[in-house]
Amino acid sequence: MSGAGGNATQQLRLARHHHRNQRQSHYSHTSFTSTDNQNVRCSPFATYLPTNTPNRVVFALLIINKAGGLVYNRTFAPGLQKLDGNDYLILAGTFHGIHAISRQINPAPAAQHLPGYRRPPTTGLESLESSHFRLTCFQTPTGVKFLLFTSPEQPNTEVVVRRCYEIYGDYVMKNPFYSMEMPIRVEKFDRALGGYLVRP
Amino acid sequence: MPGPVAAPADKEDNFKPLPPTKPFQSTLRYPSSRKSIYDRNLNRTRVNESSLASFAYLFNTLITYHHSKSGSVSEIETRLNRAGYPIGTKLLDLLLYRQPPRTATRPTRILELLQFVHGTVWRALFNRTADALEQGTEKKNEYMIIDNEPLVNSFISIPKEISQLNCAAFVAGIIEGMCDATGLSTDGVTAHWAGEGDELWPGKTIFLLRFKESVVERDEALKAG
Amino acid sequence: MSVYAFFIFDRHTECIYTKRWAPVPPPQQPPTTNGYARGATDASILARKALKAEDDAKLIFGTVFSLRRMVRQLGGEDDQFLSYRTAEYKLHYFETPTQLKFLMLTDTRVGNMRTALHQIWATLYVEYVVKSPLSPAEHPKGVGVANELFDGGLESFIASLFAPQ
Repeated sequence: MSGAGGNATQQLRLARHHHRNQRQSHYSHTSFTSTDNQNVRCSPFATYLPTNTPNRVVFALLIINKAGGLVYNRTFAPGLQKLDGNDYLILAGTFHGIHAISRQINPAPAAQHLPGYRRPPTTGLESLESSHFRLTCFQTPTGVKFLLFTSPEQPNTEVVVRRCYEIYGDYVMKNPFYSMEMPIRVEKFDRALGGYLVRP
Repeated sequence: MPGPVAAPADKEDNFKPLPPTKPFQSTLRYPSSRKSIYDRNLNRTRVNESSLASFAYLFNTLITYHHSKSGSVSEIETRLNRAGYPIGTKLLDLLLYRQPPRTATRPTRILELLQFVHGTVWRALFNRTADALEQGTEKKNEYMIIDNEPLVNSFISIPKEISQLNCAAFVAGIIEGMCDATGLSTDGVTAHWAGEGDELWPGKTIFLLRFKESVVERDEALKAG
Repeated sequence: MSVYAFFIFDRHTECIYTKRWAPVPPPQQPPTTNGYARGATDASILARKALKAEDDAKLIFGTVFSLRRMVRQLGGEDDQFLSYRTAEYKLHYFETPTQLKFLMLTDTRVGNMRTALHQIWATLYVEYVVKSPLSPAEHPKGVGVANELFDGGLESFIASLFAPQ
């Protein structure tokens, strides 16, 4: 009996050992090309760690639903004034209105578009600069607005905000326990955003 | 008596033959290649991957449905388990069929089965092996398959009020179905969180297999020869 | 690079000067085949255009006012709203210490226009409007701003900025 048990544990150990080897090899060639990535397995939150992006200062991210309600509000780095929750709600509502108006007052002549194709939609406010910060707004085709507050020097804010949308698509929209249009309290979303935007 | 005479004529007029039956046309929709899944070979050597996003949305709907129908965490888990069970029994057949014909054998011993689940099944479902295989320290009939980040949980965050819930119960159901199909039946396979406080793998999950006493006895008898 | 419009608002939130360069996009309406109501529509179009210009100025001021407030709220009292951009146009903003607000709408390829707006204030507005003996201290309904010198100076200054290279 004891011999048989020993045999079992040995085999189990073998299985574990085999796995450990595999994982070490994963760590050693973690690359971000699309082909390799499929076989590389590491913690899902580790892949978002900013690698070669110095000077990334992202102050805050706000998400406004299509009705103008604030559904997500998170600060990543100090730099902006602290507001209380109510003020943030008002700010979101105000911005929702401004965004619509900024579409309305478009003075540019209508862009040429190919006959038979739909006229390209006019976008609202996309980027705002002040002397202290830059606000990048990305509106999804479904009307959700992502507001990213960064330092004015931060490059590629469009890319960053689109990545936030992607993380939102993954961890919020695919989460069975999130109800639409409601405030986002989703642990993995927080974690993934933190891994992507918080400077180590 | 003009009435009775006219009546047959009326009947004549009203008579309409049944329209000829239309030839049967299938409403089954085919992909553009005109090949449905029934046309494909079951025995595929190359792994054919399906979209993780599609799976995520489908699984999402499954969970939402069972969540709305159940009153407690354990009920959701039971329902998910039951949803996975038939997959397990069918998957066993498919995987054995796909093995090279001469070497294909049904696992008949507990350890073989565990290796099979840990390796072959996990590779077929998730394209990798499970992360560890352990025997319970207290009870001889308890085995654990450990997955650091179950694929089915990739996009799922559990709200605080039902933090006990582990949606990998679906996978546990698959394993349970597989165990029963091999004849090594269990008293249930359950999924449990084990990643509390684990920074790297917060979603670590243990699949606990409790084999029936009779199965363990038989296994030991076989081992002894 | 092109400029679409230029506005000055005074501290009473009134628009005291407007200048437009690009034509306002024509109102969307199907071409009338039978011209029996032509005269009436022409008049109403003109009226609507004037109304739209007035409304636009109000909307623009409202937008800028809210954004300015938002920027102060988030960036602190010393933060200044500089510009915003949509995919179609860009709005540049400059506020003098006397709360005169200079706005310019350009296309999106134009860089920072803050210095240009500052120059308009310092070398044109102050010189030709403030120092004009005929100009009142306040400019209700834009009285005294659109004088010949300021108008011409602004025209040539903008022309030199956006001259085709």
